[in-house]
Amino acid sequence: MGVDQQGLLAQLIRELVRLPGIGQKTAQRLAFHVLKTEREEALRLADAIRAVKDGLSFCRQCRNIAEEELCEFCRDPKRDHSKILVVEEPSTLYAIERTGIYRGLYHVLLGSLSPLDGVGPADIKVHELEDRLKDGGIQEVILATNPTIEGEATAIYLTKLIKPYGATVSRIAYGIPVGMDIEYADEVTLIKSLEGRRDL
Amino acid sequence: MPLLKTTAITLKSRKWGEADRIVTFYTLRFGKLRGVARGARRMKSRFGSALEPFVSCDLNLFEKPNDTLHRVSQADIKETFPALREDLVLMAGAARMANLVIAITADGDPAPRIFETLLRGLRSLNEGHDPGLTTLLFQIKLLGLTGFRPQTDHCAACGQDMQVQGEGTAGRFSAQAGGLVCDACTRRRSERYLFLAPGSLAFLQQALRMTPEVLNRLKAGGQVRSELETAIEAYVTVVAGKRLPPVDFLAAEAGEPAYELKR
Ligand SMILES: [Zn+2]
Ligand SMILES: [Zn+2]
Repeated sequence: MGVDQQGLLAQLIRELVRLPGIGQKTAQRLAFHVLKTEREEALRLADAIRAVKDGLSFCRQCRNIAEEELCEFCRDPKRDHSKILVVEEPSTLYAIERTGIYRGLYHVLLGSLSPLDGVGPADIKVHELEDRLKDGGIQEVILATNPTIEGEATAIYLTKLIKPYGATVSRIAYGIPVGMDIEYADEVTLIKSLEGRRDL
Repeated sequence: MPLLKTTAITLKSRKWGEADRIVTFYTLRFGKLRGVARGARRMKSRFGSALEPFVSCDLNLFEKPNDTLHRVSQADIKETFPALREDLVLMAGAARMANLVIAITADGDPAPRIFETLLRGLRSLNEGHDPGLTTLLFQIKLLGLTGFRPQTDHCAACGQDMQVQGEGTAGRFSAQAGGLVCDACTRRRSERYLFLAPGSLAFLQQALRMTPEVLNRLKAGGQVRSELETAIEAYVTVVAGKRLPPVDFLAAEAGEPAYELKR
């Protein structure tokens, strides 16, 4: 870019590039946008970032995003505290919550196990899940990890971990998306949907 | 933008941006390549599971000039290895195969033998051959095909003919030098050596000579197996320039039976 290599704008670009999915070009575009924007509007972004970092953290129990020590779900006495649904990221939790059909608690792993990248149980919130099982009272654990190789590895590992605590373990079904013609589903998806079939 | 068509095996796939993936392939016609698959993580993605690791597909890529990152335009599943998604031991073995290919092959350098060796390695694991041995043999073979062939005929340090050391003697393997080292060099150099018994040495030489089609007929256990696993692990770490996730990654922690006892 040539302009302002060491200066303030370059510093902003360097920070933006660190965000997931933002490349050098996008970062430059965003930085120039910030430069051109009204001061007040631009600072609203800075304030929002500060507010999130100061006001939010992760739930002590389930590692979901929380404004207090416990998140809204862990604090709610009307939810079923004997069920835990395990997800990789908070965004999945909110996708499931939007369906309105699940009334138990959650556990957010904040990642997934990866034999390819060497991401092990200590690198994500697995021990925190085990602590909840040790505390007792958990009767059912539902695994909702992604149908990727990392999600599969995580589900297999967690199943072995959870079983000895006596809780029932199940995994959400994977298969044909609603609204799609079965003939267009690929081989792996078809195998998974056959394996996940249920009695009628 | 020229279109590249080839059979490929997905080595690795990582999230990129909102809904995209960056996928590393080993292809039959062009060697190792990387491509962006736009929208691959969306529900109605046309790629489906064709871009998951350890899946072989017919791949169409648009080559981008002056860019090592291509654009994936189509991927149709050719062969899947379902067992590798269901067992941590097999998954870790396949991951080691993929990681070693990623670490020691160059981008865009076609080597059909490497493609074939990888395909056969994944098939062997999927078909239930001893996973530890299959992974070990794959690594030996791949090193042999990539210019990192472990030296067994000549001293890896000075080049002296090793026959002079006598048939049926134990060898000293140096991961740093990349093979066996002679007596003189052992005294001169100050590094750690791994002893290879005559049986281990013979097994290594045989594995290097064999074609991938017959590789899984080789059998080894006990001392031969453990000596070679240690030597190859040390050498792979040197060649890859870093420690790769272990071949029993996650499996050991999940309380799986010891690697070689599995099957
Ligand atoms: Zn919570
Ligand atoms: Zn020598």
